[in-house]
Amino acid sequence: MKYFAHIFIILFISLAVFSCTEKIDIKLDESYARLVVDGSITSDTMAQTIRLSSTSSYYYNQPAPMVSGAKVTITDGTQTFPLSEKTPGIYQTASSVFGIPGKTYQLNISLAKPIGGYADYFATSTMYPVRQLDSISLLYHPEWSKEGIWEVKCYVQEPPTVDFYRFLILRNHTMLTDSLDEWFVTDDVFFNGNYTNGATVAYLQQGASQESLSPGDDVTVEVNGIGKDYYDFVMEAQAELRGSNPLFSGPPANVKGNISNGAVGSFNAYSATRSSTKVPVFK
Amino acid sequence: MQKLLLIINIILLLVSPSITRAESNENETGKVTLSGYVHDQSNGEVLMGVSIYCAETKSGAVSNLYGFYSVSLMPGKYHLRYSYVGYKTLEKEIQLDKNLTLDINLEPVEAVLGEVVITGKRTDENVRAPEMSLMKMDIKTIRRVPALLGEIDIIKVLQLLPGVQSTSEGSSGFSVRGGSSDQNLILLDEATIFNASHLMGFFSVFNNDAVTDVALYKGDIPASYGGRLSSLLDVRMKDGNAKNFGVTGSIGTVSSKLTVEGPIIKDGTTFLVSCRRTYADLFLPLAKDENVRKSKLYFYDINMKLSHVINENNRLYLSGYSGRDTFKNEFASMGFGNQTASFRWNHLFTKKLFFNLSLIFSNYNYALGTPEGDASSFKWTSQMREYSTRFDFTHYLSDTHTLRYGATFMFHEFSPGKATGLGTESVVTEFVLPKEYALEHSLYVSDEYKATSKLTLKYGLRFALFQNIGPGTYYNFDSNYDRIDSTVYTRGNIFHTYPSLEPRLAFTYLLNKVSSFKGSYSHTAQYLTLAQNSTAGTPLDIWFPATPNVKPQLCDQVGIGYFHNLKSNMFEISAETYFKNYRNVIDFRDHALLLLNPYLEGELRIGTGYSYGIETMIRKNDGALTGWVSYTYSRSFRVIPEINNGNKYNAPYDKPHSVNIVLNYDVSKRFNASATWVYATGLPVTFPTGRAVIGNSIIPIYSNRNAYRMPDYHRLDMSVSYKGKDKPGRKWHGEWNLSIYNVYNRHNAWAINFTQDAADPNVTYAEKTYLFAIIPALTYNFKF
Repeated sequence: MKYFAHIFIILFISLAVFSCTEKIDIKLDESYARLVVDGSITSDTMAQTIRLSSTSSYYYNQPAPMVSGAKVTITDGTQTFPLSEKTPGIYQTASSVFGIPGKTYQLNISLAKPIGGYADYFATSTMYPVRQLDSISLLYHPEWSKEGIWEVKCYVQEPPTVDFYRFLILRNHTMLTDSLDEWFVTDDVFFNGNYTNGATVAYLQQGASQESLSPGDDVTVEVNGIGKDYYDFVMEAQAELRGSNPLFSGPPANVKGNISNGAVGSFNAYSATRSSTKVPVFK
Repeated sequence: MQKLLLIINIILLLVSPSITRAESNENETGKVTLSGYVHDQSNGEVLMGVSIYCAETKSGAVSNLYGFYSVSLMPGKYHLRYSYVGYKTLEKEIQLDKNLTLDINLEPVEAVLGEVVITGKRTDENVRAPEMSLMKMDIKTIRRVPALLGEIDIIKVLQLLPGVQSTSEGSSGFSVRGGSSDQNLILLDEATIFNASHLMGFFSVFNNDAVTDVALYKGDIPASYGGRLSSLLDVRMKDGNAKNFGVTGSIGTVSSKLTVEGPIIKDGTTFLVSCRRTYADLFLPLAKDENVRKSKLYFYDINMKLSHVINENNRLYLSGYSGRDTFKNEFASMGFGNQTASFRWNHLFTKKLFFNLSLIFSNYNYALGTPEGDASSFKWTSQMREYSTRFDFTHYLSDTHTLRYGATFMFHEFSPGKATGLGTESVVTEFVLPKEYALEHSLYVSDEYKATSKLTLKYGLRFALFQNIGPGTYYNFDSNYDRIDSTVYTRGNIFHTYPSLEPRLAFTYLLNKVSSFKGSYSHTAQYLTLAQNSTAGTPLDIWFPATPNVKPQLCDQVGIGYFHNLKSNMFEISAETYFKNYRNVIDFRDHALLLLNPYLEGELRIGTGYSYGIETMIRKNDGALTGWVSYTYSRSFRVIPEINNGNKYNAPYDKPHSVNIVLNYDVSKRFNASATWVYATGLPVTFPTGRAVIGNSIIPIYSNRNAYRMPDYHRLDMSVSYKGKDKPGRKWHGEWNLSIYNVYNRHNAWAINFTQDAADPNVTYAEKTYLFAIIPALTYNFKF
């Protein structure tokens, strides 16, 4: 329901006239440490990665403390893929591993020593299929901001089933949307079973160096078929990252993941397809 | 409809014997009735709440919402005193031999302000009135309070009263005694206002030029009203000047207003039209940001009223309101607003039986969309409507009993949301939430009984019925709030009924001439809830009805208070304490989806709650210096099994301490200065107590619900107004008003967010957003 983004924009204009921000000292308590799981298995053939860390105090101001020495496996019920620790807290399968849409995968973690009272954790995730896009296109809106804004549009026949998607953007084969707050996830409530006919999947700010495009650049859209649980997880996490205010936001709340025993984070099986286009001459 | 007519007939039949009984009582006791209407002498507006006191019998009466009063006395010679705050007390000697109609005109005190002449005796209504937890405001007091951007606002002034809190800085939402903002029944000429906000709440829908009287019942809600737990805000529109044709207006920093009123037929028909429009958008082209330059942003209000006196026993009122906000820019546009209409007929069956019939309509809707021509162009609309009929009788049975009884019939229509594609390019599928319908009926009776010269009792009973009526589609949920299946009801099928019996009890005991002790108990039920998860809310929040899945919210409130007047009623002192117990309190699950969600009922989490507090106030109504100082201690909690692990948490509007100081000083006849200072404990909030790195982003791990607090809030506002010289024969009266909001420029936190540092993504810090620094504003008011 990206439409809400529109509402936020227009309503905030009225506030922007008055509002200001400044840093403030707020003393915060520290809660107990929990295991943080951040990992996935995809339909691509590659070393599938699971990242294990632990929570820290909110003002920790250093990279997250990584969790080493765990035994990690992924299984689809018949086959089990062991993961080995490449760097502290980063666990990977062999590079020949890939997931198959329709299968359900289980992640098993056994820590060397317990965190938050537990040493063993598991999570399951079902891989959903995704269609190859017919094409993507780029539309430049010079009037939308000082430097202009690119609209990335996609063309595909959306299936009649209930589906959830994640869209990632690559520029010259480098991931632009490299953090959770930049991903675009959507359900198909407003498009279900329709031909999308150029529905917008991303906006790129020409004025921001990380997002600006030059004629001839390759722009790739990666579409992931994801489950409802993961869609909810990303939506909730994004809501917490975008901050709150008395108008739109409910009380802040912890992001619900799918890991057992109170661990934070998620394990997500997803499928991926990619479509590319070249940036035209503009301006 | 036929059913309705039948019910009306039954009521009228029930009433007629009591009329004859009343008449025969009169004959038996030999008493005669003095009755009439009380008006403002300067403009003919009716005055409600005027106290009428008979020196000989030490008894009295109060004029009702339409300015009507009735007193029964043995034939004889009497001295009657008509008194009302802000008006010269009128003493009349009356020879009463038979039933007498006496319309009274009271002269406003304003004419003598600044002079040292003190007018007669002041009213002791604070002590004597058989009501507690009732805050009354006349529009003159409201006008003197310094206002944000010079835009004087009724709701912002109410938020300065003890027990009333704003839901967030600048918001028109308010919390009464720890309740939620949707627990206030807001009425404009008896029509429900579903969203009292303009421009994200910075202004309310009430144009003070069109309003004559404001009453807020914080507890002890009269039996004639129900449907909300916490309060009743009763706003009455002016009838229009019955004496002279007049124009009043103002030119302000953000808006201009114009009101035209006057008699159409002398002493028969009056009219009033009042308009207001903001022009903040006229300045937007000056903004640096191009997107802002091309935006539209305004709201308008229109209030209209026609009053007609047919004869001394019949009066008609027709009033209407329409207001709308518009936001528009390149990406999207949005509009929202309320419309209301009320038709009322006042009829005197006898001089002791006052009847009012009201036919009322209210509507709230919004529309939001993006421009045509895109694959995702859409339009999203939502609407809710209420049609109601009220029958209200006031029966001045004897000098010790005043009966009030009546019935209301209401039809609710909810269109919670509909999103459709816009234009040929759009591929957006139509998405419609099913409409819902409900009936809400009530019968009530209450008696105000002057048991002794010291003790007045008020007891009443309200019987309400809330019924869901088809067509409708309702979902059934399992214990995990997952949808199992749905039930479809056909048109006209009343498929669920919630009855409720709501007793209302109150007493007033006069300890002596200047002090009294009061107490009250009330039970209230609320059938409609606002799906609002944030503290201040947005215009997009929708109301949803009680259904088989959603029980009505219930509240029991007890309160006691001590009232004392000093220096011949110059100072009013009051101290009240209350306890409220809530059942079926509605909160929402974490990350609830409240908009365009067909399974909204699955997002609700139900529990209990309670609140308590002490409200103290000292108020001075007369003299050059007027105003009040109040201190409130209040707490409010909720216990909901699925929220905060079932542990008790602070309710969203729990503000333990608050202090309000409102002062107004008439320096001279032409020069007036006023100041307000407010202090309140910060609202409870949930802050992070840990963090996790997921997807290269720092995700907060939170404390228990509402375990922290925002920084304390305080602010000083000041204003001065200067009137032009009054010259004999000059019709034009002008007044300049300079107001300064937030004089000492405190950056009160509106929101606190925790963010990642742009330079070092490992660093997180807290950041506060504040809305208003010091804001001066200049307004010119005129009248001719």
